Amino acid sequence: MMGGYGDIKLLNDDGTRLDGRAVDEMRSVEIKAGVLPVADGSAWVKHGLNVAVAAVYGPMEAHPRKIQRQDRAVIDVRYNMAPFSTSDRIRPGFNRRSREISKVTAEALESVVLVERYPRSKIRVEIEILAAEAGTRCVGITAASVALADAGIPMRDMIVGVASGKIEGVVVLDLDKAEDNYGQADLPMGILPNTGEMAFLQMDGDLSIEEYNLACEYNYKAASEIHELMKQALLDSASRGDA
Amino acid sequence: MVQLVPQLLRQQLAELAANDERTDGRSRWQGRDVELEVDILYNAEGSAKVVMGDTIVYVGVKFDTATPYSDRPTSGSLMTGAELRPVAHRKYEPGPPSPASIELGRVVDRGIRESGCMDMESLCIVPGESVWRVMIDLHVLSDGGNIFDACATAAIAALRTATVPAKRFDVGEDFKLELKSTPVMCSFTRVGGRYVYDANEAEELGGDERVHITLGDEGHLHSLQKGLKGVLMPEEFAEILAQAGVRCAELRELIHSKEA
Amino acid sequence: MNSNDGGAELRLVVPGDQIDAPPGTQPGSGVCKRGDSLVATKLGELKIGGDVAHVVPTFTKYLPRSGDLVIGYVEAVMNNLWFLDVGGPFNALLPMSLAPWKVEFGAAREHMGYGDAVLARVMEVDETHSVVATMKGVGLRKIKEGVIFEMPPHLMGLVIGSKGRTLQRLKAASDCRIINTQNGRILIDGNSKGIAIARKALQMIEETGHAPGLHSRLNSILGDDE
Repeated sequence: MMGGYGDIKLLNDDGTRLDGRAVDEMRSVEIKAGVLPVADGSAWVKHGLNVAVAAVYGPMEAHPRKIQRQDRAVIDVRYNMAPFSTSDRIRPGFNRRSREISKVTAEALESVVLVERYPRSKIRVEIEILAAEAGTRCVGITAASVALADAGIPMRDMIVGVASGKIEGVVVLDLDKAEDNYGQADLPMGILPNTGEMAFLQMDGDLSIEEYNLACEYNYKAASEIHELMKQALLDSASRGDA
Repeated sequence: MVQLVPQLLRQQLAELAANDERTDGRSRWQGRDVELEVDILYNAEGSAKVVMGDTIVYVGVKFDTATPYSDRPTSGSLMTGAELRPVAHRKYEPGPPSPASIELGRVVDRGIRESGCMDMESLCIVPGESVWRVMIDLHVLSDGGNIFDACATAAIAALRTATVPAKRFDVGEDFKLELKSTPVMCSFTRVGGRYVYDANEAEELGGDERVHITLGDEGHLHSLQKGLKGVLMPEEFAEILAQAGVRCAELRELIHSKEA
Repeated sequence: MNSNDGGAELRLVVPGDQIDAPPGTQPGSGVCKRGDSLVATKLGELKIGGDVAHVVPTFTKYLPRSGDLVIGYVEAVMNNLWFLDVGGPFNALLPMSLAPWKVEFGAAREHMGYGDAVLARVMEVDETHSVVATMKGVGLRKIKEGVIFEMPPHLMGLVIGSKGRTLQRLKAASDCRIINTQNGRILIDGNSKGIAIARKALQMIEETGHAPGLHSRLNSILGDDE
């Protein structure tokens, strides 16, 4: 996936990117909370052309028994890409990629949700990607955090999903589809905006330590911008009264 | 997860039926307001979203090329998939497609296929070698009752506004998928002993069998399905068929109003 | 919503928000400590009163506590006990010995079966959240008639109203017996016209309860106050 360096031009002569963004500029983001009437909590996030919807059910009795933990709740995350979310249709069903993303997302969320409040129970988090344009795992984490807050699940902080990467040797914030396909590195992170901790961290490609530091700086900047939108979405939904 | 059916709910629905009332104040043949949006998803060649009360569904249409069947060398193909994913309700569990989701996909598929609204011959690229395959995926995000009608409405609306991505496959210029008619589905559920149109979540939970009717432009029947435990009389079917004619015409008008 | 809490400070917070409170303020419900400062853990209204800060959540699921009056549905029947769905994270156990009848071993099913509704009280919740319910007590019984409305538990305060006035009006205007429980299930029993009125009012509270003008919307459904 990485390593197409040189074949495809991703930066304009004036240093801007193909879609006109500056290197440290993210795509436009829109967030709504409380969008699914049947779920206990839900959120809708549009990030660039990505569209993700997250639903939360629970806490509920954990079945089957063997998944129960006597001292805390388990968070059961399913990240799923709709068949029509990518340019080539995806065959429905779990695959290795979605299983891995579901696992690390669940573990990230378990580090902020006060799971010890609900021993033996289960909190179901369903992340559905309806349209994918690079960076869906991050959009999914953002959506899941807002949906958990909307469901009244206690958390010590939310998690913001953000990513930076490298194209043509230049570190840029928030890779779009072409940049993801032909770039040299991708650094997705889940950041706790209030404490600055990282609950989710992946990376692939090739980054020097200096490049990593810059990408990291971009991610933290983007996280605080997205955090404001997450808060606003929740406050809007709370004051509407039907959260 | 099997959903618990409260005995009191069944009792209540029977009492309401006796007074010709419904839980949400609707009359027997009255549907919920239908919100329809088309062409809303990047990456889908056709897409639609339908909201009916607490029910929300998305439908996406994708294309690819395939080798035609040897007995029909110039005919394209159609496939409809449905997944009742756990996002849509606490009652849905993860795993391979359940019989319920397969039924949903197949009933929606039949209505579209059998109405003949798609000219399969127009989907031929090279006779005997390559034809277009049209793939409809039904994606229920919130099941607040009557997902069949929501999916069927979104599916035909998505098809009618879909673009065949010929350029991406290097076989010419993109073109609008051509549809000759607009098959529309109407579903009825037995609630408290009598049939109602467009059952909501509580009515489905405490109700019995359901009947799905797909009608074409001329009012002809294109697909029928009776689902769930229960039986009905021919007179009852005649009654809901007459209602279906009215409802389908309204939905068809809504679908056409979204076409540019 | 205006503050009637005599000087208590109100604002909406989201999980992770730092709370500005005088030093020494203790974390109440929906609040936790992070180092020396207080942090909201839920979406809702922040209230600081006395030396405690807490968040009144916008949405919350029912969490059983001992003493709660609840409506449960029989989810499973064993020889000597019933499992009740009380809408919480775990179902409750109703042993035969706490039923209002003298039940022979193996005959539990003859008294209550799958899908039946009961008015019960939560007797005990242990640390691992095992819930035991009882039907021994005044008014506790199997529910044979009426309609059960599911209200999100955090809106029950609005149903009851200040000094119980909203609930009184609901009962008067609908001429129904109305029993509100801690798990958000409301039993309405009366004639069908009255039930329809009560349900309409409850539906309105569920959908738009937090928006301003609740009183006048209630008037339009229940008739004018007084």
